[in-house]
Amino acid sequence: MSTTRNDTDPLASPTGSSTELTEPSPTTSGRTVAVAVAVLAAIVGVAVYVVGLPDSPTMFGTPLAELTLPVALVIGLGGLWTAGGLVAARRSWRVVDIVVASVLGVAGGLLFAVWNANYETIKLPFAGFPPAAALLVGVWLLPGVLGGLVIRKPGAAVYTELVAAVVSALIGSQWGFSVVWYGLLEGMGPEVVLAVLLYRRFGLPTAVLAGIGAGAVVGVLDTLLYYPEFSSAWKLAYGGFAMVSGAVIAGVGSWALTRALAATGALAPLASGRTAARV
Amino acid sequence: MSIAVADPRADSGLDLHAPIARTNPVAKLAASTVIALGLLISVDVVTAGVALALEALALPWCGVRPRALLRRGVIVVLGAVPAGVATAVFGEDSGSVLAALGPVSITSGSLLAGAAITLRIFAIGLPGVVLLSTTDPTDLADALAQVARLPARFTLAALASLRLFGLMAAEWRSLSLARRARGIGDSGPLGALRTALGQVFALLVLAIRRATVLATTMESRGFGSRRERTWARESRLHWRDGLLVAGALALTVLAVAAGVRAGTWNPVLS
Amino acid sequence: MPTRPVALRARGWGWRHAGRRAWALRGVDLDVAPGERVLLLGPSGAGKSTLLAACAGLLGPPTRTLTDGVHEHENGGQSVGELTLDGRPAALARVRDRVVAGQLSAATGLLLQDPDAQTVLARCGDDVAFGLENHAVPRHEIWPRVDEALSLVGFRQGRDHPTARLSGGERQRLALAGVLALRPGLLLLDEPTAMLDPDGVDLLRRSVSDVVEATGATLVVVEHRVAAWVDLVDRVVVLEAGGGVIADGPPADVLHRHGAALAARGVWVPAHLPAAPARRRSATAPALLSTQGLDVARPGSRQPAASDVDLQLHGGRAVAVTGPNGAGKSTLAHVVAGLVPPLHGGLVAHEPLARGLGPAPHRWKARDLAARIGTVFQEPQHQFVATTVRDELAVGPHRQRVGETELNARVDELLERLRLGHLARANPFTLSGGEQRRLSVATALATRPGLLVLDEPTFGQDSRTWAELVALLAELLEAGTGVLAVTHDRALVSALADDELVLAPSRRREPAGVS
Repeated sequence: MSTTRNDTDPLASPTGSSTELTEPSPTTSGRTVAVAVAVLAAIVGVAVYVVGLPDSPTMFGTPLAELTLPVALVIGLGGLWTAGGLVAARRSWRVVDIVVASVLGVAGGLLFAVWNANYETIKLPFAGFPPAAALLVGVWLLPGVLGGLVIRKPGAAVYTELVAAVVSALIGSQWGFSVVWYGLLEGMGPEVVLAVLLYRRFGLPTAVLAGIGAGAVVGVLDTLLYYPEFSSAWKLAYGGFAMVSGAVIAGVGSWALTRALAATGALAPLASGRTAARV
Repeated sequence: MSIAVADPRADSGLDLHAPIARTNPVAKLAASTVIALGLLISVDVVTAGVALALEALALPWCGVRPRALLRRGVIVVLGAVPAGVATAVFGEDSGSVLAALGPVSITSGSLLAGAAITLRIFAIGLPGVVLLSTTDPTDLADALAQVARLPARFTLAALASLRLFGLMAAEWRSLSLARRARGIGDSGPLGALRTALGQVFALLVLAIRRATVLATTMESRGFGSRRERTWARESRLHWRDGLLVAGALALTVLAVAAGVRAGTWNPVLS
Repeated sequence: MPTRPVALRARGWGWRHAGRRAWALRGVDLDVAPGERVLLLGPSGAGKSTLLAACAGLLGPPTRTLTDGVHEHENGGQSVGELTLDGRPAALARVRDRVVAGQLSAATGLLLQDPDAQTVLARCGDDVAFGLENHAVPRHEIWPRVDEALSLVGFRQGRDHPTARLSGGERQRLALAGVLALRPGLLLLDEPTAMLDPDGVDLLRRSVSDVVEATGATLVVVEHRVAAWVDLVDRVVVLEAGGGVIADGPPADVLHRHGAALAARGVWVPAHLPAAPARRRSATAPALLSTQGLDVARPGSRQPAASDVDLQLHGGRAVAVTGPNGAGKSTLAHVVAGLVPPLHGGLVAHEPLARGLGPAPHRWKARDLAARIGTVFQEPQHQFVATTVRDELAVGPHRQRVGETELNARVDELLERLRLGHLARANPFTLSGGEQRRLSVATALATRPGLLVLDEPTFGQDSRTWAELVALLAELLEAGTGVLAVTHDRALVSALADDELVLAPSRRREPAGVS
């Protein structure tokens, strides 16, 4: 049985080719939609915060009302993220982007495996003040931020973090497969930050902000799922420490690592390895 | 390092014809996720214990011989035991005091909590280890792309990267030897740490370099375009895959029911 | 095997990489008829790989055109002129695979130099099927084509054989099969034997020869080693860095006229091989290290890689260790260098080498070891630990607490001697292959060792670097350093070795004198 993809000679017509071309910048109407989405989300977020959520349904042992601020923030940021994603000039992924992001993810997964195996022992000094253990979470946030800084395409942070989580789950850990969902959400933290910056800024401040974003996600998830019995003060402390850890280990760490990698010339085929000047 | 990447066919501790070993990788993933989610909701001895017991009953059909299980399960043990011990010693105290040393004390309550944590970690971690050790990585990628409909570009690239990294073990050895030859690496723990980090960095550089060449190879063979692809190895769902997931669901329900019945079930959400 | 050979044509073609001011190639005019076989030569950096990548359509289509006819591409590079396959732009060839007689045939197939980076999947059959899957060939057609491609290249192992257990040459064969399964009309080979040992080179060469006979595809080979390919090709084309074609014609002609110039630029031209330096053998040759009945094994293994080795190393004399793959040569080198403890048997480092440290090098501390035995690894990149070339050279002496002025003096001397001065501040990973090799040798010398152990030092090097290395080693030997070189390279053995130790699996070994 022979197969023909189309009737005309595929070599003749240049349309419909699947090569990766830069997509054109968004049109005015695209921008308007994006701005509208962002504004709408901001309004809804503010409204939620002002009105407050009802007391009665409890979630994870805390009344819903206490989650008003986080929910409002999530809605507002979600709107900004969508807007950023719509406005940023969409650059599709080349094969080299996918493969390098995967390799960074696998490396991250191996890092997780080593870190997971030793985590309980490393956590012991913090037994006195458990929220301070959040200072260690930055290691789990590193691949996402690193992927975002190295690949510089939409979705890079999420993908790299996800691959790292999957690999660490495959190798086996005490948390089983739940780490994959964690990885997905942990990757969204830096992704939102990069999207809000329209995928144009990748310097140290961006890296730190991305790390903070990832830390915030982990802070929220952990206090809800693993430490529901903490007092509010401790939960806040946990979140704070998580964000600091994210900023330093994941943020500054990824930025320094990206620069070191770029200096070796290994990133030359990627966006992050290209300098503007011709030498 | 190469636990996940190793070829199951090469491992004599595995029987790949066992019924559960032959199920589709996506079904295995679904089963272990169901168990993990079900058990994460509560921390109590009865739920975790019943789940672990039921998993042990299912073990003979999984195709992992005891020695292989021991070898591959060591990571879970490394996480479970210290966590349990830490909870028993530092956790909330309740019930009668069994031992006390200054500010820390082990009470019957904290001991129970520690046991619960350990059992839960085993009950969640072991199915993952067992199910996935009989899965060939290529089959897993095929299943994720064909059955779970994840984008093929990403699953295959991830698979190729996993394989690439698996080959880096030889490079790692060479890097270690080279550092000794250069005269560095054995001057105390701080120096050893710095050298180790430098070695990790060097490995990363080599891996990325190789990855870019691999990307060129894959691209030159037609990879990366958005058009449809075919699959040389078919991955399909059979009734035994549904059976596996149903079994996992039943296991979770039974364990939770036992916990509720015994009154020890304390859910994270209410 | 139905393949339609493709014609290649370049008119004034040029390419400039992103971030570079200089053009890699400019004004290339080339016509390759269908079924012709061409060998592409030129100095390193002459853009030959770029030309092949462009033919394979890997540089991407142009995204916009600038005023002077220069096209810009998505990856930041710029091109000028035209490059076509059968009249259609090569840049779009990859996505335009034609249907020929109802069976898929791709325009081009590309084979690269690194065998390890060309295997995509874990089983051989799957790896070959990869290209077919990407081109949406129906499943019932895939496996017959896989078998066809494997038998065409002469691949012996079955479909389920794990790719991790293949040698370099077998891997290149497998990669070739993967390329062939798509029945390309134009076969592009980019230094395919550069990273293979002599057996692997043979293997691949025979496969390629069989393939072009059977399919009649057009062949373009880029290589440094002329001897292996000169009988297979009809035509030799010489490119110039930053320029175009400077010679084009039958092999005998081109090599006769340009042979000397090419050899001076690093190409291995058979009639102009680099000469071995004359050496004065010194009168005294202090014993540095000897082994007796030595068994060596890879770290963590109890199986001996090589057994019962008797070896004597003297200052000012060179011993070459040769033998087939898997005979344990590298392991032996590592044990002699004190990096790995021996399995059984005696290894004694004598006083002129040990200088008061005891007879077992594997027990010495790393910094003391580096001052006595220098090791040069097969892959130079494995040895780099610093961020600039200068720092790299300073690492060893620094560890030995050498004073500031002395350290700078040593580093400057080495930079000068190995012509690395202009790269003093560059990152070691950004150096070219030959420069990296020189740097790795320099770092081993920075600590003034009495014995130098080298693992395949001339592997994959062009003739210029080869000549420099051999001259350097000859100088060291004259100055009294002992040398142990593990190598496949017969030319190196005859140029330098005073003794040769041939390793073969499970046979008693005795060194045999050479020349």
